[in-house]
Amino acid sequence: MAGSAQLTRLLEHPAIWRGRTAAQRGGVPSGFAALDAYLPDHGWPRSGLIEILTGRFGSGELALLLPALAALTRAATARWCVWVAPPLMPFAPALVARGLLLDRVAVIGGAQPLWAFEQTLGSGAADAALAWARRPRLRELRRLQLAAERGRTLGVLFRPRRAATEASVAVLRLALEPLATGVRLRLLKGRSARRDALELSWPAGWVS
Amino acid sequence: MLSHANALAPAPAAREGTAPLRGVPPGAPACAPGELWAAAHLSGCDGLSCLERLASHALRFTPRVGLVPPDGLLLEVQGSLHLFGGAARLREQLRGECQRLGLQPLIAFAPTPLAALAAARAGHELLVSDAAQLTGQLAGLPLAVLRWPEDSVARLARMGVRTVGALLRLPRAGFARRFGAVQLAVLDQLTGRTRQVVTAFRARERFRRRRDLGCELSHHAALLHALAPLFEALGTFLTTRQCAVLELECRLLHRQAAPTRCRMPLALPCADGARLQGLFAEYLSRLQLPEAVRACELRAAALVAQRPDTRSLWQPGEHGGDEQLAGVDLIERLRARLGTEAVHGLALREGHRPEHCWALSAPPPATLGRQRATDYPPRAAGRRPLWLLPAPQPLRVRDGLPCRRGPLRLVSELERIESGWWDDADVSRDYYTAIDPYGVRLWVFRERAAPHGWFVHGVFG
Repeated sequence: MAGSAQLTRLLEHPAIWRGRTAAQRGGVPSGFAALDAYLPDHGWPRSGLIEILTGRFGSGELALLLPALAALTRAATARWCVWVAPPLMPFAPALVARGLLLDRVAVIGGAQPLWAFEQTLGSGAADAALAWARRPRLRELRRLQLAAERGRTLGVLFRPRRAATEASVAVLRLALEPLATGVRLRLLKGRSARRDALELSWPAGWVS
Repeated sequence: MLSHANALAPAPAAREGTAPLRGVPPGAPACAPGELWAAAHLSGCDGLSCLERLASHALRFTPRVGLVPPDGLLLEVQGSLHLFGGAARLREQLRGECQRLGLQPLIAFAPTPLAALAAARAGHELLVSDAAQLTGQLAGLPLAVLRWPEDSVARLARMGVRTVGALLRLPRAGFARRFGAVQLAVLDQLTGRTRQVVTAFRARERFRRRRDLGCELSHHAALLHALAPLFEALGTFLTTRQCAVLELECRLLHRQAAPTRCRMPLALPCADGARLQGLFAEYLSRLQLPEAVRACELRAAALVAQRPDTRSLWQPGEHGGDEQLAGVDLIERLRARLGTEAVHGLALREGHRPEHCWALSAPPPATLGRQRATDYPPRAAGRRPLWLLPAPQPLRVRDGLPCRRGPLRLVSELERIESGWWDDADVSRDYYTAIDPYGVRLWVFRERAAPHGWFVHGVFG
């Protein structure tokens, strides 16, 4: 069982061509059709560092990611989904209600968040890792990107919106604003030419 | 050096028909059939710990090892002869083991343990496998090899008895009357007339090694280098016993300050000395040393049996590598630097009160192919925030509405949570979803009891 899971994971490497079908995997489906059409890989990238810039904590950034995280935790070869030094504690009943499997979720405490984030990304034990940073330096961001590539992990870094003017090595950068019924996104950096804003509405069951 | 032609003793059935031992009436039980004892007389052995260390190495040859302090070692090797290629080769290997520990051995083989030990003490490296020949071979040994009290040996010398052969020719009843039944019993054990019981040596199950450093060290890298041989010894210790360790303790001794202790608990049992050393480096880097270190000691108490599982072809973290090991490795590295409480998982609890319906738990299991036993039924998704504050924060009220960086707008109908009358955390609240001027959704509540304060408890999104 573990052997076949390892083999599956190995065959998912993008550099392996299997003859009839190339190992095309695209991105992780984000759960929102409009967002999938908007993002370069038709979903969140499978590995690498992405940045989400928000004005205030709690503008809807985690809700945006949750369908993709839930799908990742429910996959057959799921690894962990790690929260590194979150500003508040994630509320377990809400995570379960959105479809996450709690026995793939780990939370790491607050000291040395960037070191812990780098260790998590590079270890290959997590499918996705979330971290919050105020002012990381470019050198640290570069190390995070390399670690995410090495461990084939999706690293999500939440930063304040004023970081939009700084250079970054992230694969994808999104700026996010809350709306009454959803969020407004703008792609700041990505492998596509779209720079318009996307307005996304939450599904009916989410907004009470 | 006297050696016998055939190194392997014949089968017991064939030996019944051989000539009986001299001085033993026919029909008496011979020594236990099929035993061959190797005795090593060690020079350079200082103390019981050295002997025990050699004995634990000698367990490699046979499970029946006995100690004769201060400088004797007994091994019953009849069953091991065919594994080691004969008695001569076994002798060479045993000699090699002793020399590796810095001891010079004299090794003799005989059907009874005491006879082998006596021959080794005399310096004769005998190889006697036939009980019939035993008395003849022992005849020339001096009496000192028996290590009897001085006065007994002196009395025997006055009687003209100076060798073991002469001793064995003395009449039994008279000897017992003059020197005691105890000495007669020793003689019987020597010739094999009665069987000697040798208490088996059991290797100690604890690991404790100390190393005194040549000079005082205070630099962490130098300390780690000094500890490397101890970790290697620990790895060998665990491998020979097929055990793994769950917790390590290292003590660093200073000149005047109290010893510094560093405990390292492990998530999974580990038997790899190199990996333990790497993990310990993280712990060591967090230690504050009051003084320079003069000696270091490594202790491992909690030993568990190790089940070696199949290794995978790729290393953890590589493509297709073992995620189970990668996860465990990550937890241990994080705990080494951040503390044991740094990594945890989440679990649900029964209850309606938001503070009590979840809890921190152990980190998630790293095994793939788990059962989905913890798949809780989904509840209404929109009613609970994704983030919970550690404790509800009071809000200012203006014009009857709560404010937080501006007036909040209540956008949902109320949800009443009343629970917990049976313990002190009684909760009676009306929960609402509110939006603040910046667009952030908050989970606020108003207490139903006086003074009806407003609080914020969570953040959506």
